Amino acid sequence: MSNRTNVGGWLVGKTIRKGGVTSSTAQNTRSNTPQVQSTSSTLFGGGVKDASGRTTEYFSMDDQCPVCKSDRYLNPKLRLLVSSCYHKMCESCIDRLFTLGPAPCPICQKVLRKLAFTPQTFEDLTVEKEVAVRRRIAKEFNKRREDFPDLRSYNDYLEEVEDITFNLINEINIPETEARIDAYRKENAALIELNVRRDEQYAQELRDQEEQDRLEREQRAMEARREQELEREEKEKGRREIIDRLETSSKDAAKVIAKSRAEANKRAASRVAAATTAKSSAQLLRSRAAQSTAVPDVPHVPLQDNWYAYEDMYTRLDRYDDMYSEAVRQDREGIMRAGGYKVEEAWERALRSAVTALFLPPLSGLETPQPGMPSLQSENPIPSA
Amino acid sequence: MAGETPNGVDPSSSPAKKPLYEASTQFRSWRYSPEQLRQVRQKLNVGAVAAIRKTIEENESGSSASLSFLQPDDELVLVKLYITKIPQLCGHFRFPEEVEATAISYLKRFYLKNTVMDWHPKNVMLTALFLATKTTNNPISLDSYTSNIPKTSQSDVLGLEFLVAQSLNFEFAVWHAHRALWGLWLDLQGLPDLTEALRTPEVYETALKHVRASRFTDAELIYTPSQIAIASLSLASPLLSNKWMDSKLPSDAAAAESYRQTLERSNSTIGEMILRDAQPPNVEAAREVDRCLKLCKNPQRVVGSKAYLARRAEEERRAEEKRNKKAHDFHKTIEGDDPFGSELVQIGQETQDMDDDD
Amino acid sequence: MDAVEKANADRQKRWAKDQKVGEGTYAVVYRGREVASGRKVAIKKIKVSQFKDGLDMSAIREVKYLRELHHQNVIELLDVFSSKTNLNLVLEFLDSDLEMIIKDRSLVFLPADIKSWMAMTFRGLEFCHRNFILHRDLKPNNLLIASDGQLKIADFGLARDFAEPGYKMTSQVITRWYRPPELLFGCRYYSSAVDIWSVGCIFAELMLRTPYLPGETDMDQLKTIFRALGTPTEEEWPGHAKLPDYVPLGQFPKTPLRDLFTAASGDALNMLSRCLIYEPGKRISALEALHHPYFTSLPYPTHPSKLPKPASKASRPLEEVDGNVEMTDIGPGVKAAAPNRLKRKLSSPMDDLRPLPRRLDFAQHKGS
Repeated sequence: MSNRTNVGGWLVGKTIRKGGVTSSTAQNTRSNTPQVQSTSSTLFGGGVKDASGRTTEYFSMDDQCPVCKSDRYLNPKLRLLVSSCYHKMCESCIDRLFTLGPAPCPICQKVLRKLAFTPQTFEDLTVEKEVAVRRRIAKEFNKRREDFPDLRSYNDYLEEVEDITFNLINEINIPETEARIDAYRKENAALIELNVRRDEQYAQELRDQEEQDRLEREQRAMEARREQELEREEKEKGRREIIDRLETSSKDAAKVIAKSRAEANKRAASRVAAATTAKSSAQLLRSRAAQSTAVPDVPHVPLQDNWYAYEDMYTRLDRYDDMYSEAVRQDREGIMRAGGYKVEEAWERALRSAVTALFLPPLSGLETPQPGMPSLQSENPIPSA
Repeated sequence: MAGETPNGVDPSSSPAKKPLYEASTQFRSWRYSPEQLRQVRQKLNVGAVAAIRKTIEENESGSSASLSFLQPDDELVLVKLYITKIPQLCGHFRFPEEVEATAISYLKRFYLKNTVMDWHPKNVMLTALFLATKTTNNPISLDSYTSNIPKTSQSDVLGLEFLVAQSLNFEFAVWHAHRALWGLWLDLQGLPDLTEALRTPEVYETALKHVRASRFTDAELIYTPSQIAIASLSLASPLLSNKWMDSKLPSDAAAAESYRQTLERSNSTIGEMILRDAQPPNVEAAREVDRCLKLCKNPQRVVGSKAYLARRAEEERRAEEKRNKKAHDFHKTIEGDDPFGSELVQIGQETQDMDDDD
Repeated sequence: MDAVEKANADRQKRWAKDQKVGEGTYAVVYRGREVASGRKVAIKKIKVSQFKDGLDMSAIREVKYLRELHHQNVIELLDVFSSKTNLNLVLEFLDSDLEMIIKDRSLVFLPADIKSWMAMTFRGLEFCHRNFILHRDLKPNNLLIASDGQLKIADFGLARDFAEPGYKMTSQVITRWYRPPELLFGCRYYSSAVDIWSVGCIFAELMLRTPYLPGETDMDQLKTIFRALGTPTEEEWPGHAKLPDYVPLGQFPKTPLRDLFTAASGDALNMLSRCLIYEPGKRISALEALHHPYFTSLPYPTHPSKLPKPASKASRPLEEVDGNVEMTDIGPGVKAAAPNRLKRKLSSPMDDLRPLPRRLDFAQHKGS
């Protein structure tokens, strides 16, 4: 970062991006004061941060502290800060007035505290105020369209938020507005909390997504580099191969060159194919992982159907003497057993059919059973067990 | 489900459970009350008589008033005659009992959807038996089947096969009482206080005979195989059947009592059925019905009769008309000059072809 | 037009055929929809006229058993109607099958996915066995996957009910790669354990992503099995030397499964080994399998809706359809495998060198 750019920027009073700061000052001031050394020992945080979390402080040539009237020309290290009642003051006045504890604002006598001062981001203080107020209100009133049954109530809610913000900005009966804010907060404390967490989660997901994309880009870049190297080597090897083939083989040069080039292409093609499947499967695995959180995996349930096979109406013995299974018992060579024939299965089937629908009363009268699977209750008046 | 909760299993655990038998097609579509059976047969018979009377009026010269048509009971006699022929045929081919029982069920079910005046039971019986061999996994090639049966051609059997399958609305699985009886006989061995003397093979044989006799009745269309089996056993040995029934009744008294009544009632009715209807119909009555049938058979089915020719011509005409409609569409698309209209018709034409070819 | 024909015509009107999806030697498969609800269905039209014995055995079986079975892991037969010369089976439409998913190299299988598929397969099979029905043709392209991820067992063309007292059954069933050794030895009295062996092979295939025991002929299939699991000894499989087509095939060492299935967990290997036990009687039953610690241990089986599905929906042109109709990516929910010429579709070059398993024509078989 060459030094020249930020010095010019400073002179013409343009807002200077944090990036312009020389590395040396970056270490000691934590995040937001640009190149001007902060004369006071306190660090003034707050102020409006942009997306990347940095604040740019507003400077112009004709800065002047209304209290001590010192200006940029006399004191180049002048730094003006804004109070909570949006009046500007230079750092030295703030140190002077507020280090011993809270004191009234020299301009509007509102009681202020030192830490309440924030660096100024926008040229126009009213804008600064509006942004601060909206930010504060947004933290409280963070309901979304889906929290409301219908569009009408959502619009009413928005209107009310706008009223409150307007009152705060233009200081119309502040106490009454504050009361309304507290009332709202009491009512929807849980929902506010929930929305806050949801917004945080959303922000977190955004950050993860960004992180993953960055990782992937890096990986792809690394792969591309590796591939280039491979290709270079490949070409090198191919050339050397051709040369020593030419020396050894008797065939004419053109055919030899053609053959080895064909080989090289085939190798390159297979390498590319392998790379694509590898990449797509990695992608797929990641999407599968993301999907798994949506629908939870249910522990295994052995049987999920609700068919009842009269199990409790019979008990199968291990042995029966019956003429049908004589054939199996005489099966000395065990052909049947070797093949896996189990006469028990035949017994099981017979026993089950002996008890199947044993107590099912016959139909009576002319009522036709409903088509499909008629449920039993409707048909027979037998009182249930 | 009240009726089915067996021996005292607390209903809360199994109300959601549905008994497997209720998924079977035999339970869902081939289960009637005696009255329903009579009503179905009555309606079929009346419908057929009216249709035949109409065809005779149109084609034959003579008035049909003079003809006496078969009554539902006459039809039943004829069907029962051919049911008794099935066991003889199965004995001849040495088919297993499963095939015999399935064939009989098919024949009975066929005549719940058709009448004897349309299709003579003789051919239907042969086709039903052939189909039964296939559905019970004991296939036999058509040549060896027809060569063993005097004066039957292969086309007779195949011609009707489709109609029989359709009439059964393709529900080929049948649960039989003889397997239930075998299971019952095995389960008797499980009864603790049973003396071997009671459980003699003769008792089983007589019970089996009763089960086979029950096939000549409507029992299987009304009752479940297990009920027919227990009823047959109680005919052969009331002591054994009561002992077995008691062991199967649920422990909870109220249910046990109601189940006992259901079973006793079904035992008695099935027993009556077997003793009363199971006799093969006397051949004389059957021949009488057959003679009468020859007169009032549906002419459309009689090959060569005028009605048959009329129907054949009518079918021909419908097929013809369908063909030239298709041809007509085709021409329209070819010489149709309108650039936009044609390919729309073309697409319509294409899917229409799809449906046409079955 | 008597009652039966009218009823049949009404049923026919309920369904509308959209477009042809596949064609086999003995059946044509259309994609269609129910006119009333617009529900997508597959209509399998079986040409009856060409069979000399009338209605074809596998059509009868499919209709008979699917009419009786109602379970979330068994394909549902919605309706059956016939027109002049052919029989139409209306089945629920299922977009893909397990073979397509195994072959789709871009898909990655997590152990939980395999566990979920296996659990659904076992539930469907247990329900069949509970109804005393053997499927006898279990293989990845007969396990169809619905859009919600549920796996459904289909193609009951070779099913039969078992536990008939002492009847002989044909051993010429199940596609060779998934056929258990007792059938390869021509045994005529077998039990539900034959299906369990096939599920074991499917389990292995899910882990390896290639068929586990691909044999070229029956003899070679036995050798492949013995090479993978070691030659069975007499006490391991008592009485196997007396099976009708038994022939000694040389001794192969018994290599532990872990060497091949390096990534499998202990439970998974235990489950696989219990499915591939030589003695059918000792093989795990479907019900026991469902209670096996493999399923109850972590990770939980993936929720069906999250199981990987073949991404590419591009349907390959129809002419690529060959005899056995396991054809386009968007394949119908239904496979119309010709009874006499079932062959695995040549899709990956790796298959070129290996000839295809052939299932003998069951219909002409003397007696099953």
